[in-house]
Amino acid sequence: MSDFRILIVDPDAREIATLQTLIQDWEYTSDQGGARPALVCAVEGVEQAISIYEEFHPELIVLGPSAAVTASAPELRRLRQQSGIEPVPILFVQEVKDSGAAPEPLGGCDDILIKPYSPALVQLKLASIRRFCEFNRSLIAQRDRLRRHHADFLQEQANARQIFSNLGNESCLDVTPGIRYHLSPRAVLNGDLLAATHSPDGKLVLMLGDFAGHGLAAAVGAVPLTSIFYSMVPRGFSFNRVLREINRKLHDILPRQMFCCLVMLELDPRRNHLRLLNAGMPSPCLKSANGELRMLESRHLPLGVLAADQIERSVVNLRVRPGDRLYLWSDGIHEARNGEGEHFGEARLLELLGNDGGAIDESAFERILVAVNAHASQQHDDLSLVELDLTDESLMQSTCAEQECSGERRGGRIGEWSIKLRLAETELRNADPLPHLLSILAQMPGAARFQEELAIALSELFRNALEHGVLGLDSSLKCTDEGFVHYYDLMAERRSQLDSGWISISLRCRDWGGGGELFLEVEDSGAGFPHVSEAKGIYSGRGLGLLQTVCRQVDSRPGSSHVLAVIEWGEPVSEEATPP
Amino acid sequence: MVVSDRFENRVYSEVSESGDALIIRVAGHFDFNLHREFQRAYRNVIPAPEKFVVDLSETEHLDSAALGMLLLLRDYCVEAGREGAEPEVELVNPNAHVSHILTVSNFDRIFSIR
Repeated sequence: MSDFRILIVDPDAREIATLQTLIQDWEYTSDQGGARPALVCAVEGVEQAISIYEEFHPELIVLGPSAAVTASAPELRRLRQQSGIEPVPILFVQEVKDSGAAPEPLGGCDDILIKPYSPALVQLKLASIRRFCEFNRSLIAQRDRLRRHHADFLQEQANARQIFSNLGNESCLDVTPGIRYHLSPRAVLNGDLLAATHSPDGKLVLMLGDFAGHGLAAAVGAVPLTSIFYSMVPRGFSFNRVLREINRKLHDILPRQMFCCLVMLELDPRRNHLRLLNAGMPSPCLKSANGELRMLESRHLPLGVLAADQIERSVVNLRVRPGDRLYLWSDGIHEARNGEGEHFGEARLLELLGNDGGAIDESAFERILVAVNAHASQQHDDLSLVELDLTDESLMQSTCAEQECSGERRGGRIGEWSIKLRLAETELRNADPLPHLLSILAQMPGAARFQEELAIALSELFRNALEHGVLGLDSSLKCTDEGFVHYYDLMAERRSQLDSGWISISLRCRDWGGGGELFLEVEDSGAGFPHVSEAKGIYSGRGLGLLQTVCRQVDSRPGSSHVLAVIEWGEPVSEEATPP
Repeated sequence: MVVSDRFENRVYSEVSESGDALIIRVAGHFDFNLHREFQRAYRNVIPAPEKFVVDLSETEHLDSAALGMLLLLRDYCVEAGREGAEPEVELVNPNAHVSHILTVSNFDRIFSIR
């Protein structure tokens, strides 16, 4: 423990000696239990006091009777400035000539000692000043500690933000004009999270989540959540499968009181099909071109609450119409409060979305942000908002388009091989063969070049075999809105109760160096293609068109369920034969 | 220095008249700031009541941290159930706003609410 340092300033050595004696006596008489001993240093004048200040670092300054009278105001000010923010009291000794007269107040000091000294009073004063200094020291020490902790804390937050922004590097949020979003910079540390990516067959999958709780603890859950999302979706795992995995993982790793409210959606722009699961988030709003609003209420517990999920039952299927927009938000918007503590609320949001008289409104996104910020002007920004233009053309473009152009389909040999896979009813109830097939193909050197076509063709053929062949669903159901939704409900129902049926998939690859062909054959246990013209056949609508854009050839025969599709790359055989 | 009212005692608990239930009343904003008080209210009640009744009649707002605390209470009951009868948890008298929050999060599936 360091000493309690007292600096005595006076030109008169006798005055200094008297003061020193008083201090020593105080030290003898006062209870030293735990108190710091006094250390005295004496100098002649204020100038010397200033020059020794840095070295001695006094906690109390006493100006003797002569020094107190002669010290000038500027000198005293400089003396005080030495102490910085630490309040070092300055005492003046004031001689009282005729007893009885009250001492005159002096400028520049904090208190006075009256001479002739009353040892008892001097000791009381010294003791109280020492207590004050002690208190002050501990306050400053605490402040320094808090400052250090706070600096560490800010550093940790910065690290966390860095980690989370790296996690988002795989997202397609910034390269898809159909998506507009606002996430506050604090979002991650509020537990808000936004992620989007494409499935290999060109569907957009997006999620907006909100972890219960605050701070880093809420944010850590984002790590497993995004890593599952960004690893499973691009591999082609089905929507339900990804959600189930997220729920399971969060339930396993999060402490009981933590969970994640989440909206996840899958948009198939080619089929105008939107699937959405809302698990505990404020209802997203689907706004159609005619201004109609539809709220998509939460139908599932937040993820991570229960080990068992009810994802199949809780997913809603929607048909997307031209001009449809979807708005997603976190409760930060609903709960933004104004000066009177009033929430912004859903009613205000819907009014903002709905009051444009049905015209397609380009600025609803900005209007909401402006209105919420105006409402909660004093609150920090912790709102997340996403606007998704469901029929934006950019969503139709495949993610791999750029790679394809740049890659020019060059690469190593793909080889000559074949795979045959047959799935029976048990597998068909919840099997997800696509990711497995794609992962096998992804390991073939050079196969990445046509991964997208392969994913599209495989998923189209598999879906057709499953939906129309095995489950016997009729596409014409999808012509009406109710039918569209009914179709998908029926599919989930029939699939879960499936007790017979099979699908076989076979892939055969030919490689002749400069190019090659991949034959995809899919067959199912269904009745086969109907004997009607192609326009009304099973591949009605976009399915056939889509297959034909990625395949050189698509063959099917009425009355048979067998389909052959051929994907080709590189130089055709015939051209290879003729030299350039 | 402004001391927020949030530090006042806002969780009260009492044994019901019939003696078989512990009623926990939460006033005002049911949020993270109450987590210690809320836990204190149901832990170490000996003997464990047959039922925990969380009375929300004075609760103005409830956030996700509060939902988490309710999950902890539920978990506590499951733990207690390993040694004897598992106590029930009942949420009662939520106002319209609180009730909406409970429905949005589908907590009505895992708690009985009346």
